[in-house]
Amino acid sequence: MKGLFHVTPSGWAGFALAAFAVLVLPGISSSYWLSVFTSASCFLLAIAGVAFLYARLGMVSLTQVGLMGVGGWIALRLNYAFDFPFEVNLALAALSTMVFGWVLALPALRMRGLYLALVTLMAAGGLEILFATFQFPNGGDGFWGVKTGSSDPFRRPFLAQSAEDYLRYVIICAVLGFVFIELHRRLQPGRAWALIRRSEASAMAAGVNVTLYKTWAFGITGLLGGAAGALLAGSLGLLDDGTFRASESVMIFALAVVGGARYWQGALVAAILYKVLPALLNIWGVDADLSYVIFGAGLLHAVITAPDGLAGQALQGLRSLLRGKGRRDA
Amino acid sequence: MRYGKTLRMAAAVLLASLGTQAMADVNCGMNTGQAATGAPIIVGGIYGDAAPGDWSSSTDSAAAYFRCVNANGGINGRPIDYRVENDQWNPEAAAQAAALLVNDTPTVAMVGNGSFIEMAVNANTYEQAGIMVMASACAISECFETPNIVSTNEGPLPSNLGAAQYAQEELGAQHIACIGLNIPDNGIWSCQAVQDFMRSRGGDSTAVLINPGAPDVNSALLEAMASGADTILINQPAGIALAILSAAEEQDLRDQYNWIAPTPLYDLSIPAAVGEYWWGHLYVNAELAPLQVNGPDAQNWAAVLDQYGSADDPRDTFGQAGYLSARFFVQAMLEMDPAQLDDRAAVSTAIRGISGYTSDLMCGPYYVGDADFHMPNHAGYMLKVVEGGFEIVRNCYEYDSPYFAPHIALETQLGLR
Repeated sequence: MKGLFHVTPSGWAGFALAAFAVLVLPGISSSYWLSVFTSASCFLLAIAGVAFLYARLGMVSLTQVGLMGVGGWIALRLNYAFDFPFEVNLALAALSTMVFGWVLALPALRMRGLYLALVTLMAAGGLEILFATFQFPNGGDGFWGVKTGSSDPFRRPFLAQSAEDYLRYVIICAVLGFVFIELHRRLQPGRAWALIRRSEASAMAAGVNVTLYKTWAFGITGLLGGAAGALLAGSLGLLDDGTFRASESVMIFALAVVGGARYWQGALVAAILYKVLPALLNIWGVDADLSYVIFGAGLLHAVITAPDGLAGQALQGLRSLLRGKGRRDA
Repeated sequence: MRYGKTLRMAAAVLLASLGTQAMADVNCGMNTGQAATGAPIIVGGIYGDAAPGDWSSSTDSAAAYFRCVNANGGINGRPIDYRVENDQWNPEAAAQAAALLVNDTPTVAMVGNGSFIEMAVNANTYEQAGIMVMASACAISECFETPNIVSTNEGPLPSNLGAAQYAQEELGAQHIACIGLNIPDNGIWSCQAVQDFMRSRGGDSTAVLINPGAPDVNSALLEAMASGADTILINQPAGIALAILSAAEEQDLRDQYNWIAPTPLYDLSIPAAVGEYWWGHLYVNAELAPLQVNGPDAQNWAAVLDQYGSADDPRDTFGQAGYLSARFFVQAMLEMDPAQLDDRAAVSTAIRGISGYTSDLMCGPYYVGDADFHMPNHAGYMLKVVEGGFEIVRNCYEYDSPYFAPHIALETQLGLR
């Protein structure tokens, strides 16, 4: 427990960046960029979840955007059904999606590698069909909460009514998500996951309950995905099934690999590639679909030369640079 | 030599005269023939272009009209800088487009918007920003039931009602299967109105909903057949509607049902696209005047597109609606105090003050008014697809539904009825 709250240099860099993002970024961003950064921050949280699962357990989840949809659906339904504050809806949406993640994980955990990825992709496809068929709640009655015509208003957090404050709110939630993952990594689950990643047989021989800890990890991924979906619902005030297609889950997993799943910087790179790059291309008058070509090139680059992703490669380069400088100084 | 010089001068005069004649064919804004050179007035527009449909024809036509206005004196010498964004049928992109055009840019109004998504996401943004949206290709309820959006097109609810009313009165329809998109504020909203209408007349209607992301037209068709309907209403964008008609043709269903559709199927390319099989058997509601009515505005729209648009700009209802929104916007701007043209609030007030503008493209007068709802266009034409075009089978008629009661009350209040 002694080193539980020890902040590494990388952690300090993350907190410094988060402080900049919370204190400075909203003030200097135009309305367009506030919208883009808010969206990117929501997906950053979701990407952190899928990257965590891949980095800690080597498990590929292609359901993450579908889980965002589940969280968003629950947040919208709670918003229209009760007068709870946004934070309560956010917490309930995240926890419910965590339970959903567990339920999804139990049968899926019998699979490994490609088969697990395919099962999660099929789950994402199933969720896509459910969202398209039943739509997202818009203030109607009944279980599905869909009514004919326009949506009722969605309540944002009391402390984050403006676009600037809402961006701050989402960034803080994303930072809490990273801290949550890191605390888990430093506690018993982290040690169990490390052992499972090396060898499930060894982990079992060492007395690790493999099913429990794998399910636990899926739950964390679901929690983060659900929270991200609820935050996205708060940003737009409504959700559309087109946002939660199975192909988007594949995309964010691929980008998590491109960015570097083992590093928080990698998730950040992935979120920037996924949401900020297309917006930038749009501003430059270039077709935003060009970003898919760039994603493909990034994936090739990561697969061929950077197994730890762009962030891993950059950090490795930085370390080499500092070591070289240290030797020269000596 | 002298004879040759005279001949050349005569030819030049003739060419100049022909040129003048060609220029006279378009009528845009101040119509001075002089390009506007002052400080631009910024106007925005949002369209949706992604699967399953391209809804850019309204902003294309509005852009062509604004180019024509700029070449003809602009707004008191000031050109219109028309900036458009694509919402890609994606709520996040729609919100970003509005943030860019409304919050980050000093636009005075939005004109020509055409989308399935953006009005739902951005209606509050428009209200908070105090900007008016003179939309043209509206397809969802937010377009017609919020205070800052007004459209020249009817939207699916009135257009479906028009088609259903015609089918009930002229084709003997008793049960209509309404194949709509599974979007609460579009397909469900507009098919529900058809059901209410048919039940009010002793008939019935069944909604058959399609997922716009992955439209399965065969399943929809089978579901419509299983409903026991005698009439099939294809409440879809043109692309999906063509796929449904193609699937119906493969099963040779033409003569077993009446086939009706709202305005997205009024496009000059449709008769050739559906083919001979459907000629004489497919009825389409047109929200604006069909081309053969050929009034001054219809001719002007076509001439503006020919001279200031591009050859592939669609000549369809939404194009007409985009042109009309742009023309009414320019008319309102020209009636304003020139000193207030950059003042968004003043422009919004001027737009809300629009009342009694007319065009041969619309069956009734165009107005905005100070209300929480706007649907100035709720009367149209009924057409039949025939070889090479469309035949008018019913001229301008108002649709019979209690939905329009508040609109009629507002029109009465404005002295338009």
